[in-house]
Amino acid sequence: MAARSGRSDGYPSHVDPGPGGVLEADDPRESAPLVALVGPPNSGKSTLFNRLTGLRQKVANYPGVTVEKYVGAVRLDGDRTVNVVDLPGLHGLSARSLDERVTRNVLEGRVDGLRAPDALVLIVDSTRLETQLMLAEPVLELGVPTLLVLNMADELEKRGGAVNEKMLADHLGVHVARTSARIGQGLEEVRQFLMGVADRGRLPSRPCPALAVEEKGQALPMLDTFVERRRRVQEVAQLAGFTQPSTSRLTEKLDAVFLHRVWGPLVFLVLGMLVFQAIFTWATWPMDGVEALIAGSGEWLAVHMADSWLRSLLIDGVWAGVGSVVVFLPQILVLFFFLGALEDSGYMARAAVIADRLMYRVGLQGRAFLPLLSGYACAIPAILAARTVADERDRLATIFVTPFMTCSARLPVYALLIAAFIPEQPVLPPLLGTRAAALLGLYILGALAAIVTASLLRRTLLHGRPSSFLMELPPYRVPSLRSLLLRLVDRSRIFLRRAGTIIFAVTIVLWTLTQIPQSGSGPPPVDTSVLGRMGQFIEPLIEPLGFDWQIGVGLISSLAAREVIVGTLGTLYGVQEPTEGSFALQEALRRDLDLGGAVALLVFFAFALQCMSTVAVMRRETAGWKWPALQFGYMLALAYAGAYLANWLI
Amino acid sequence: MSAETGLRLPEIPLRETVELVRIDLPPDQMELLLELGVLPGCQLCSVRRSPAGDPIVMVDGSLLAIRREMAGCLCVRRAESDAA
Repeated sequence: MAARSGRSDGYPSHVDPGPGGVLEADDPRESAPLVALVGPPNSGKSTLFNRLTGLRQKVANYPGVTVEKYVGAVRLDGDRTVNVVDLPGLHGLSARSLDERVTRNVLEGRVDGLRAPDALVLIVDSTRLETQLMLAEPVLELGVPTLLVLNMADELEKRGGAVNEKMLADHLGVHVARTSARIGQGLEEVRQFLMGVADRGRLPSRPCPALAVEEKGQALPMLDTFVERRRRVQEVAQLAGFTQPSTSRLTEKLDAVFLHRVWGPLVFLVLGMLVFQAIFTWATWPMDGVEALIAGSGEWLAVHMADSWLRSLLIDGVWAGVGSVVVFLPQILVLFFFLGALEDSGYMARAAVIADRLMYRVGLQGRAFLPLLSGYACAIPAILAARTVADERDRLATIFVTPFMTCSARLPVYALLIAAFIPEQPVLPPLLGTRAAALLGLYILGALAAIVTASLLRRTLLHGRPSSFLMELPPYRVPSLRSLLLRLVDRSRIFLRRAGTIIFAVTIVLWTLTQIPQSGSGPPPVDTSVLGRMGQFIEPLIEPLGFDWQIGVGLISSLAAREVIVGTLGTLYGVQEPTEGSFALQEALRRDLDLGGAVALLVFFAFALQCMSTVAVMRRETAGWKWPALQFGYMLALAYAGAYLANWLI
Repeated sequence: MSAETGLRLPEIPLRETVELVRIDLPPDQMELLLELGVLPGCQLCSVRRSPAGDPIVMVDGSLLAIRREMAGCLCVRRAESDAA
């Protein structure tokens, strides 16, 4: 099976095949030709990519999702292989935003480790053929063998539209295939084209094909270029018998509600509450299951291992530490299930429209909404996604506030503290209980911090007028369960990998620090261990927030990644109370923290930038330490002040 | 003929199809509009307004949400039969 490559690193235009990636030296695929998949946002590129390569890849029904590049191998009959690179969706090749520049660089073969493509697959949404074909001309000018894929043909027919692909092929002088990638129709034709590419092999290395540079800066030549192109496109579409489909009834009906003056914002709110309630209710039984599994395996180990330092390391250190984080996997999956379903259905674009006025008031560009929204999963892809924001000041403001969005790494911390300190009671039955309300409140707190910060930035360091907002609203589509499930599998993998690496390593280090200095009879009491002394050293600093030294150790370790604190506390309490089941974490917390301290800790986590990966990505995306340093300091100050205030108030 | 009536898109009632005449925007802001098919000569139709009152416009079968500040820069012309 092919491995996915193309990771978050790659600024400005570097595709890293990664260890064990697709382009290993002794791999027969290394000599396989490369096919680039290009097309406008939301035309189904990623769906086609998944169908062809069988790889998991984030597919979303709103513009601007694919900012990283994914490379995958397509296996064809007779052991032939081609590599396919999936590129960010784009409307033109003007290189206006960072991801358009990345796409240009890939097409022109200017990317290290990735050859200039030997063929192109240009995929368009056939229900909007005329607009989408505007991209065809600059792409065809590259002179590389190209297949034009008319996707969403099922939708075109259902809504009474038509196009003759053979005539279109004649007039454009390229191969044309008709597909419905979502339901897997018409893929044979695409595979046949790829077979042809595989048989021909790589194109001889050639000078970089240069894309036509569109006239910049002057309105008239640019306008003329587009008007001319538009005329030619219309002519071709007409000759190919293109009939515009009638508008989607479903989309009209749903928009009448979702974009309604009153119902729209209301639905937005109710959906939000529903998601948070589901995180607590739906995830309960799988969480109990995971918990039982970890506790059971821990007990089994305890019984079957001789009492030794290794047993203590495994059970009190690793099982207690890693286990207390892994328990939260079901809640994270519920969150991603909803985010995925909302994205794929096309609702997110409407949510962006509803939120836009607010974005405008605080001085952010409407396009920034989507990157910010993906910050609910993780700040790193969100910061990369902000490359779709064309204006540099807009982009900086967006990525500066992105870490305030509640990423999924905060979820275990929130869920643990909320479950330990807030009794479940109905608030708005059956929609909302106290726990979900508290969680929703924390998400709102983060969003508010982002809004206030953005507004401040736009008035000071990044002064300027917000640029325009223009967004395509894709038709509503029923999300494919297959694609949703694939994404959840992918998510689980990422989460478990982190638990198995970062958190595993941290728990071992912490456990070791609790074991020294060894006294004659064995490990010291935790208070006098090296770790205990380290915690007590910083205790005066965090005492005003209502935290004791154990929380302090957790805070320090969570600088690596936020959810590490859960693992740290698991290990700390695990060492203090060995052999007592490792899941007394909530009770132990209730002993050490009062409600004020717990709320302070929640507020601290809502604001602080405890994530080294984010700092590293910020450094790369802003080409310097200035912005990440400012961001880290600002967020820490806000976290400290906020936590102090919370502890003082409660 | 009502070639230059100075009509702007936000002034047009919902569901009325009009022709785009001119875009009063600097080139860098105009480009995305052009790529999305909003070009002089194209047919525009506001199909609804967002909760905040921004127009949602149908162009060549695509729905576009446009901030009203930007929509105010789109000069349009009514179909000739209506002007008569």
